[in-house]
Amino acid sequence: MIEQKVVAPEYLFNEAEREEQFITGSEAVREAIRRANVDMAISYPITPQSESMHLVGDIYAEGYIKEYFRGENEFAVMSSVAGAAMGGVRVFTATGGPGTLRAFEAFPTWAGARLPVVCAFMTRGINSPLSIQPDTLEMAYMLDTGIIMLHAENSQDLYDMILQAFMIAEKPEVHIPVGVFVDGFFVTHTRDRVKIAPPDIKLPPYNPYSAPVPVMDMENPPIRQMRDPFVMKSNFISYAAHASWQQEILAAAERSRRHIAHYLGSLLEAENENAQVMIVASGTAVSQSREAIESARQEGLDVGLVKLKSLRPFPTEELKAVTANAKAVIVPEFNRVGWLAREVRAALEAKVKVVGGPRVFGGMTMPPDLILDEIRRCANE
Amino acid sequence: MSVKIIRPTAAFADLLPAEYLELAANGPYASPKTINDLGNFKEIIEEHPHCAGCGVALGVRLTAASLPAPADTLIVGTAGCSFFGLAQAALNYSCSAFGNQNAVASGLKRMLKIRYPDTHKDVVVLVGDGGIADIGLDLTLHSWFRREKIATIMVDNEVYGNTGGQESGMTQEGQVLNMAPKGKNFAKIPVFELAQVSGCVYCARVTVASPKKIGQVVRKAILLAREVGPTYVQIYTPCPTNFKFPPQQTINIAKKAEEGHYSFREFISDEAQAYWEKNFSSSA
Amino acid sequence: MSITPYRVLVGPEGYLPPAAASRGVLLPEKGEALIEGAIVPEEEAMQAIATKLLSAKNPFFFPGPQLLWDWKEGVAQKAQAVKRLADLAGARVIPMPDYRPKYPMINPAVEINPNHPNLTIWHNKIDLCVFIGVHCHYANMALKIIRGGTSCYTVALCGEAGHEDAMISLCCMGMPELAKLTEIIRTMKGEQAA
Repeated sequence: MIEQKVVAPEYLFNEAEREEQFITGSEAVREAIRRANVDMAISYPITPQSESMHLVGDIYAEGYIKEYFRGENEFAVMSSVAGAAMGGVRVFTATGGPGTLRAFEAFPTWAGARLPVVCAFMTRGINSPLSIQPDTLEMAYMLDTGIIMLHAENSQDLYDMILQAFMIAEKPEVHIPVGVFVDGFFVTHTRDRVKIAPPDIKLPPYNPYSAPVPVMDMENPPIRQMRDPFVMKSNFISYAAHASWQQEILAAAERSRRHIAHYLGSLLEAENENAQVMIVASGTAVSQSREAIESARQEGLDVGLVKLKSLRPFPTEELKAVTANAKAVIVPEFNRVGWLAREVRAALEAKVKVVGGPRVFGGMTMPPDLILDEIRRCANE
Repeated sequence: MSVKIIRPTAAFADLLPAEYLELAANGPYASPKTINDLGNFKEIIEEHPHCAGCGVALGVRLTAASLPAPADTLIVGTAGCSFFGLAQAALNYSCSAFGNQNAVASGLKRMLKIRYPDTHKDVVVLVGDGGIADIGLDLTLHSWFRREKIATIMVDNEVYGNTGGQESGMTQEGQVLNMAPKGKNFAKIPVFELAQVSGCVYCARVTVASPKKIGQVVRKAILLAREVGPTYVQIYTPCPTNFKFPPQQTINIAKKAEEGHYSFREFISDEAQAYWEKNFSSSA
Repeated sequence: MSITPYRVLVGPEGYLPPAAASRGVLLPEKGEALIEGAIVPEEEAMQAIATKLLSAKNPFFFPGPQLLWDWKEGVAQKAQAVKRLADLAGARVIPMPDYRPKYPMINPAVEINPNHPNLTIWHNKIDLCVFIGVHCHYANMALKIIRGGTSCYTVALCGEAGHEDAMISLCCMGMPELAKLTEIIRTMKGEQAA
């Protein structure tokens, strides 16, 4: 283990000289966690996530993390993660696909209890039929759990977003979980050039006593303390308290906008935003769109690109602004349900034509030609 | 010790509600109390909305009065009747999702050990039979397999009380309840035996009719969990509401059970026994 | 985001008022504060707090657990300073000792609870309240309920990022800020007396 020095997050993210490495997405997770000053990580295998948590285990063995173990299933892991977070420490875990759904009850519980957990989701298909292949379907289910959702396009994003996620999650006025989503296999199992900070620096530690809720350690008041939303009683007072609690979780996500913008630069990135045809995508669908746009431009078509980095909170105002001139918006997705098209439609309020597709799933890749076809259709309408 | 979190600031001390002033002055934090002291100190269980004659409420109260170090005890619970009194308890309590208590406790215990390496932070799971034996059985067993240093205490009323009287895995065979309209057709889940073979270094089975025994076994379970390994206590806490007996009969029913299916049982591993004799035998 | 900026005004706003953060109200940076949803310099908000406190009929401070219990260094002194501030402003004090929804019921004459703060406000006919030393989550939860169901004016003196759901909120509140607010109240009181 290399002796590490705590540095300001801004220094680690923006100023420290970075070294370019040719690594997999899973290795990018390891390198992020190595610098994240994490107290505890808990693992459970599921393809395509497993390798990332093996590698996190390796750096635990090297001494970069204080505690690590393999839990018995995802629901248990997410519960243990909750217990650790209630105890006032920084925790990390990762899952994907059916694991996400197995653990599902835990996510709104994390948000409701204001736990600043960071979890990576290496997305994959959900049964049935059984598939281990890339698919972003699970993100549709996660949209309303109350957690912040960032979507990485590539290993560089994955490395950066995991580190940034801790800083966003732990802001006292935010203090809800952040999920960093990445398309399984396409990113986790491929090598890419990733620029990473030196290994001898790390993030500042988590300060539990700035949290918006007390820490479960019998060291801070009140002594009478429940770290989670309470049992509902059947009266208006209980309903009002419960409603106000839930509103506060939504408010916490709203407050994260400023911090996401600070650390990630923005909630979305737009290129050629005055174009008549805009592609709006997240994850690796962005990369495929880039190729399609390149071809379209060679054909003289006017196309722009919006890469959504934050899905919760959703950059509604920003999206409206960068699509203000568009007559059509194309939303390519790696899932069958088109959850992102639904989000985009809701945000743009029917002021612009939203084309939901192309969509591929079941592990299929997305040929840029499919997107190009859609661009041609929209441009010629 | 964290008695400081119940030490009023001078500026506002005279404004605190009476129960808090009493808790600060005469609670069990500075000098631990036992079951024998009940009535002479301010208990950590306050008023609660349990039914009249509730065995679970009594089990929770007796357990709370048996904690060896309430100032450094954290209770992890789950949904169900056990929740009601505990949500009002004067210590840190949490219950997140149904049945996940032993997993939550695992994460919490490990992290408190790291944050406070020189203090025993007693993480105690205190939940009902449904939470441990049914929906949370795998998480319970795995915490024992992993030798998590937590004490698991079941308040066993042999029924899902809070949801309206449904059969649980701990219901006795033949008992007619909701969701068992023809009577339960399998035996009580042998959690005591499972605990023994799954890594618990100490197990005890008691009823609310024997408060002093509860005091002894809960204390022993928590002290052994600190250093030796996981421990398990199963307390029979009869439910007048769902088994439809008069509330004043709770203790009698528990007493009768001690002569039948709820006789006192205790198991201790050789390692735990040696540790106990070395460190606590004079005070046991 | 609404077209007209949401204003955090005295209630009763009615059934289920929104979280101000969800209606576009942003938190202040250090040196700034919030008045009714708008960001202003801290000094201006302190003046506004002083004016409101000194003109209120029945102002109360609600110190939370972080000030009621002497759990870490500096708390006792801060509690003294808050008590002095309340006394100077002619405000009374009702503590918020914990956050549990209390069963079977609380005594609203002696305590306030974030799950049903309206009971204490109604019972004591409180027209202005000051939150301090309350964990942010519970403060926000209570502030919305107060705005929804009462006509009480709410002030939050927050050591962290501040509270959009209060009508006036300071952030990053430490001992120097507390002293400054006290001084402003003292001066204003002197001017009023003169």
